[in-house]
Amino acid sequence: MPNPPDTEPPPRRQGRRSRAAFEAYAMLAPSILGFAVFLIAPIVIVVVLSFYDWNLLSDPEFIGLENYRELAGDERALKSIGNTFYYVLLNIPAQTVLALLLALALNSKIKARNTFRVLYVLPWMAMPVALGVIWRWVFDPQYGALNRFLDLFGVDGAAWLTDSSWAMPVIASVNVWQYTGYTMLFFLAGLQAIPAQLYEAADVDGASPLYRFFAITLPLLRPAMLFVLITSVIGSFQVFDTIHVMTAGGPAGSTATLNYQIYLESFTQRNAGYASMLAVVLFAIIALITLAQAALFRKRTTYDFS
Amino acid sequence: MYKTRTAALAALALALPAALAACSGDDGGPVTLRYAFWDDNQRPALEAMIEAFNEEHPDIEVELEQNPWEDYWAGLDSRFAAEEAPDVFWNHVSRFPTYAANGVLLPITDDIEDDGVDPAIYPENLYESWQYEGEQYGLPKDWDSIALVYRLDALEAAGIDPATVNDLEWNPVDGGTYVEFLQKLTVDANGNNALSPDFDPENVVQYGTAMSSNTGQTDWWNYAVQNGCSLQTEPWGDYAIDAPECVEAIQFTADLYNKWHVAVPAESTNQPNGGVPGDYVVPGQAATTLDGSWMLSFYRDGLEPGSWAVADNPSGPVGSGTVINGLSNAIYAGTDHPDEAWELVKFLGSEEAQSISTGMGSVWPGISSLNQGFADYWAGEGIDVTGFQTAAEGTTTGYPLSMNDAAFGTAAMDEFNQVWLGQKDAQEAAEAVVAIANAE
Amino acid sequence: MKKIPLYLVLIMGALVSVGPYLLTLNAAFKSKQEILTSEPWALPANPIFSNFGEVWSRYDFATFVVNSVIVAVAVTIGQLVFSTLAAYAFARLDFPGRDQLFWAYIATLMVPQIVTLVPTFIIVRELGLVDTHVGLIMPFVFGFLMPYGVFLVRQYFKTIPSSIEDAARIDGAGTFTILWRVMIPMAKPILGTLAIISFVNTWNNLLWPLIITHSESTRVITRGIAQMQSQFNQEYHLILAASTMALLPLVAVFLVFQRHIVRSIALSGMK
Repeated sequence: MPNPPDTEPPPRRQGRRSRAAFEAYAMLAPSILGFAVFLIAPIVIVVVLSFYDWNLLSDPEFIGLENYRELAGDERALKSIGNTFYYVLLNIPAQTVLALLLALALNSKIKARNTFRVLYVLPWMAMPVALGVIWRWVFDPQYGALNRFLDLFGVDGAAWLTDSSWAMPVIASVNVWQYTGYTMLFFLAGLQAIPAQLYEAADVDGASPLYRFFAITLPLLRPAMLFVLITSVIGSFQVFDTIHVMTAGGPAGSTATLNYQIYLESFTQRNAGYASMLAVVLFAIIALITLAQAALFRKRTTYDFS
Repeated sequence: MYKTRTAALAALALALPAALAACSGDDGGPVTLRYAFWDDNQRPALEAMIEAFNEEHPDIEVELEQNPWEDYWAGLDSRFAAEEAPDVFWNHVSRFPTYAANGVLLPITDDIEDDGVDPAIYPENLYESWQYEGEQYGLPKDWDSIALVYRLDALEAAGIDPATVNDLEWNPVDGGTYVEFLQKLTVDANGNNALSPDFDPENVVQYGTAMSSNTGQTDWWNYAVQNGCSLQTEPWGDYAIDAPECVEAIQFTADLYNKWHVAVPAESTNQPNGGVPGDYVVPGQAATTLDGSWMLSFYRDGLEPGSWAVADNPSGPVGSGTVINGLSNAIYAGTDHPDEAWELVKFLGSEEAQSISTGMGSVWPGISSLNQGFADYWAGEGIDVTGFQTAAEGTTTGYPLSMNDAAFGTAAMDEFNQVWLGQKDAQEAAEAVVAIANAE
Repeated sequence: MKKIPLYLVLIMGALVSVGPYLLTLNAAFKSKQEILTSEPWALPANPIFSNFGEVWSRYDFATFVVNSVIVAVAVTIGQLVFSTLAAYAFARLDFPGRDQLFWAYIATLMVPQIVTLVPTFIIVRELGLVDTHVGLIMPFVFGFLMPYGVFLVRQYFKTIPSSIEDAARIDGAGTFTILWRVMIPMAKPILGTLAIISFVNTWNNLLWPLIITHSESTRVITRGIAQMQSQFNQEYHLILAASTMALLPLVAVFLVFQRHIVRSIALSGMK
């Protein structure tokens, strides 16, 4: 019996494609509409505003590149960029390393893994506004838990939130506290995806734990690492609530990240046009860093990003 | 023929509701006004005044919107930006120039004339502070000044006679009787006060005073006025706090923290983290403070009656003195109900309304003749508040009027926070603030 | 036996993690005086419940809670519906401009919320939704949180083998049927994750409600807490009681969903 002829004529295939496209657009319609109105439109407005001077009260005034030129001489804004990088450097390595170590610990054979996991992820839920008060209470120089605790050991606690050298490290550690558990979950998932045979093979060859970690675990964790680093770096550029309730950018502007500076310029100093320019700059910085991270990792990972 | 008639009827049918809608916008039907404010302590007084207002105007509903001071101006500004602001709102002298210059306030000059409101019932300087380019933008709602609030039990424990509190003097060199007074009230865990050689500054249980203000209104501005400093060259002019008299006063404030150790440490009180002065006096951390008359109910609610009192400010080298301020009720220029909003503002500026609020001891009234009512209320609570009036009659300076108040406020807080911590020199800080604030 | 140091470290870490919650809960039962005079970790000598009552009566706390619940639930449902639809389209359907559009979604993840506040406010005002619940909800569903939701679910859909769908198609099922009958049941873990992420992020958000609502009838918990903080700066007993009440619902919701989250993150393909 000869094979039946090929019964998929080209027109039908095209028809299927356009039907799929129609269905796709139908499914996407609400999301795209919302995306256009509530994300794209505001972003476009912000970019346009960056070329204007606007004090929120009168009409915006077109001033071309003036805002961008002013940035070079604006100490506060430049300092806030520095503060942002300082914050990211304090926050991300600590958070990532701790999360990884935790994941390794909870992936091993210990009791009460579930309980520990829940306890470590709980901080993620915390409402920054409510937590801010609690942290200010904990860090209060006279009545706070931290200094009282240090007193027990005879150590003189610093004026954590009113001292410009300590304020930013305190904010960073609050953030590490909040997100380490959540980050750990992603590493845990990545660890559990590593096939056990690889470790067994290494054991047969008599490999040391350190070797196992650097030769097997770390390389195979690259996809998880990429995801974690990209999302947590983006997240830390956008920190707002914690700073707003704990220090409002002080003392002496030491905790004003670029994101917070945008808020201050917009609402305290009433320079909405200038703030928009800063927002464009912030986005550019985030985009560059994200692309750099993706490029760095992409060469050596098979993680499918599309 | 039919079609034309039908069309004409249809057009009429459509036009009629539209015409009615256009008419009803101005009269008929209840109107709701939104009234924004920040001090929750004054809510009971506001509610009482609104109740009285509704007796004459039952079809004007007033909805209160409270936002704490920290968020009040950001919220207001974003609403101006979106052209969707409350109809009536509390206005403050620091923001008034910018708002008036940008046209977000409704002028009420004509309304005042048409309705025969008599400006003479208000203190002249208070009334004039709400004028801009010949137009009136508000009626005085209240006035306030700063005076010395103290705990009687602390004075008793230190063996100080309350009668002496009204005559304290200070000078930048050795502090004078004022600093001595504060030193007697600064006590360590062993019972030694700051004058004693055994005094342990690491273990203080009670400080003489507490200072906490992000602008300076309840601390160094008062010392500045008492030292002959004018915060500005002239109203609407440049900030001039780098003048020698001003820097001396700033240095004196810093010395209270770092030289004589009579103030609750700046690490605790520096804004925005620290509390208000009353937060330190009420639990007993500080024995006295300079505080504003709007905070009286805070002390009344937190302290036992009879345990605290109000005295005159100390005198500096030039004399006694303080900062006078006042709020007004302003109308948003873009309000949909200008007439109703004026009715509310007119009422709130009237004797009837303000006597309600003085009767509750809320704030000193905008209308001078009603001051006695306020004093009587507090006398009934056992507190003699004439200290605030004495302060107001001494050398006074108005709250600085400037378009750059935002820049000044941020710069002053940041720079002087460092001075209070002993990390920056007073002259340097003052010059930095002036450079930033006068920049635009 | 040699695991003991590990357990010790883990226990100390866990204490640090939940420490602030416990301290808050502990203090909420103390009187104002006791908070100032006792050590923060000391148990209350005479536990009192009146702090909670005082917060409820002095403030319209009930209204705040109701508003927060309405907004958070609405946003969660909205996200589940619209983001899932979009995620499926991106994951499985082939149409022109798919990849570019998806990258556009991802790119907006890098735009901080603060930046789009005033423009979004202006847009919401044009829609006449200032100071309304709908005005609170829409930008969350379609703006701030949406790209992340779409990204998350789409990645998850991509890990489900297409053989199941192909089998369903051969049986004659249409796209929507496949989505509803096949994909969504298999995606329960990630949907659970999306639900909790949406709920938590909306519940905890301060900025948008700060700008868009003014009257007290639409005030949410985050604003209520912020309001309380500035009114009662050192009245820690009230603030901590209020904070406890703000934190507890989230903790409860999390404990219910936590297994979903962990499983879905594991399954969402860290490959």
